[in-house]
Amino acid sequence: MTMTPATAKPGDTIPPLTFGPISRTTLALYAGASGDHNPIHIDLDFAKGAGFDDVFAHGMLSMAQLGRLVTDWAGQDKLAALSTRFTAITPVNATVTCEGTVTDTVEKDGETLLKLTLSATIDDGTQTLKGEALVRTA
Amino acid sequence: MGIFDRSTAGHVTPPVEVTLERRAVAFFAETIGETNPIHFDIDAARAAGHPDLVAPATYPVVVGTFAGKEAERKGETDLIALIKADMRHLLHGTENYTYHGALYAGETVTVENEILGFVDAKGGKLEIAQIATRITHPTRGLLIEAKRDLIHVLG
Repeated sequence: MTMTPATAKPGDTIPPLTFGPISRTTLALYAGASGDHNPIHIDLDFAKGAGFDDVFAHGMLSMAQLGRLVTDWAGQDKLAALSTRFTAITPVNATVTCEGTVTDTVEKDGETLLKLTLSATIDDGTQTLKGEALVRTA
Repeated sequence: MGIFDRSTAGHVTPPVEVTLERRAVAFFAETIGETNPIHFDIDAARAAGHPDLVAPATYPVVVGTFAGKEAERKGETDLIALIKADMRHLLHGTENYTYHGALYAGETVTVENEILGFVDAKGGKLEIAQIATRITHPTRGLLIEAKRDLIHVLG
């Protein structure tokens, strides 16, 4: 039987998701779609001027993947909270793999919520995002 | 000794109205690789019982950014400029959302930012600006509470 928020238990993992490779085109489109025009993500000259070898991906593009990871499984109406810490830069052309594990159940405002630990890692195994989600069970 | 203008701690930006455009929500959803059509196909969204496209989970950051641009167009200082963030040294540390209600395309919501404060970390190598954003709907009330840490890497 497919695991759902109603049946999930601590220790269960949700179906993983991969995104990428994140091309320069993707970064340009994300800059436009998100309104985040920080040149560090799209302008190689600016990135080099700031001391980086190359542009790097918007952290929020990877957080968007953590969002997809959870909402693909639970449905967006079940998502109560989503948080992340950006632990490393995501280089251009990286592929991001997102994984989530149910770690706990918590009671909040009379509701039972699942707590999930989330992670995004890139090709070389570096963890780029360490996240958490709260998901409604009903 | 940092770069952020720490005198802005406690500042609350004037509320800004942002209308979620359907095309913009769909473009964002497609760009992040969304496969659930409730985020980009109006017929699928309605068939699933939604009044319009459902904004993806991280769309609040976009609404916040659009609000900043609206503020700039009105001659107000954008949050990033207000705290005197230096884009060459600025990293995104954390991002947190609490969802109270869905964000739908076609709606006009109100965005308000609060500069919670500034802290130093790693022996002064990092300085962190803590920002809260609230997105409110005129009749459905508070939809999203967001918090983020923006980090300057110094030296």
